[in-house]
Amino acid sequence: MTGSINNNIRLLRFLQSEMTQAELGQRVGVTRQTIAAIEAGKYSPSLEVAFRIAAEFKLPLEQVFQWQE
Amino acid sequence: MSERETMPYREKVAWLSMLAMLFTFGPYFTLVASGYFPEKPLPDLRQLAGYAITAAVQVTILVIGHIVLRRNNRLDSKVPADERDIAIKQRSVSAAYYVLITGMILVGVIMPFTSSGWEIVNSALFMIVLAELVQFGMVVVGYRRQAA
Repeated sequence: MTGSINNNIRLLRFLQSEMTQAELGQRVGVTRQTIAAIEAGKYSPSLEVAFRIAAEFKLPLEQVFQWQE
Repeated sequence: MSERETMPYREKVAWLSMLAMLFTFGPYFTLVASGYFPEKPLPDLRQLAGYAITAAVQVTILVIGHIVLRRNNRLDSKVPADERDIAIKQRSVSAAYYVLITGMILVGVIMPFTSSGWEIVNSALFMIVLAELVQFGMVVVGYRRQAA
């Protein structure tokens, strides 16, 4: 089974007054580079971090992360 | 703060540790392999001095390197390891463990039947250095693979 996890974090940060990767990372408890890796689709976060990110944008998980076949 | 992707602090530390190891133990093992230290019974102060100088230079490079890295990465150096850092570390330590355990079986179980003295000491040192290089290398590869 092949697929990948996409996300809208870059767009959502832009809509949140251009929140920086460092700010988001600080709020969810990961480094700026980890946020960059998640945004680029190079790293899939744990469920806990994914929920934290979604909660930061006050959105349900599926509006931030999507599974693409 | 710039959104430009920069190398994670822990990757920089891994590069420093790997290069310090290569710049010090590389020449040391080259000298050992070339027969620069003639085989003498333990403790063989000349060989011991060679090892001591190598270790001292490595520690000096690491101390200076860490000071420079901390000074140039004040914020990043204070951020605790996150889940990605821990996962990369775990994978690298796991790979290094297999190298080390293989090396210790060779050096500690097999070599005593055929060798003695500094040959065993240097072989053990080589396997430790190799395991460390694998660990630092895996950390670097882990971060590079996931670099944005």
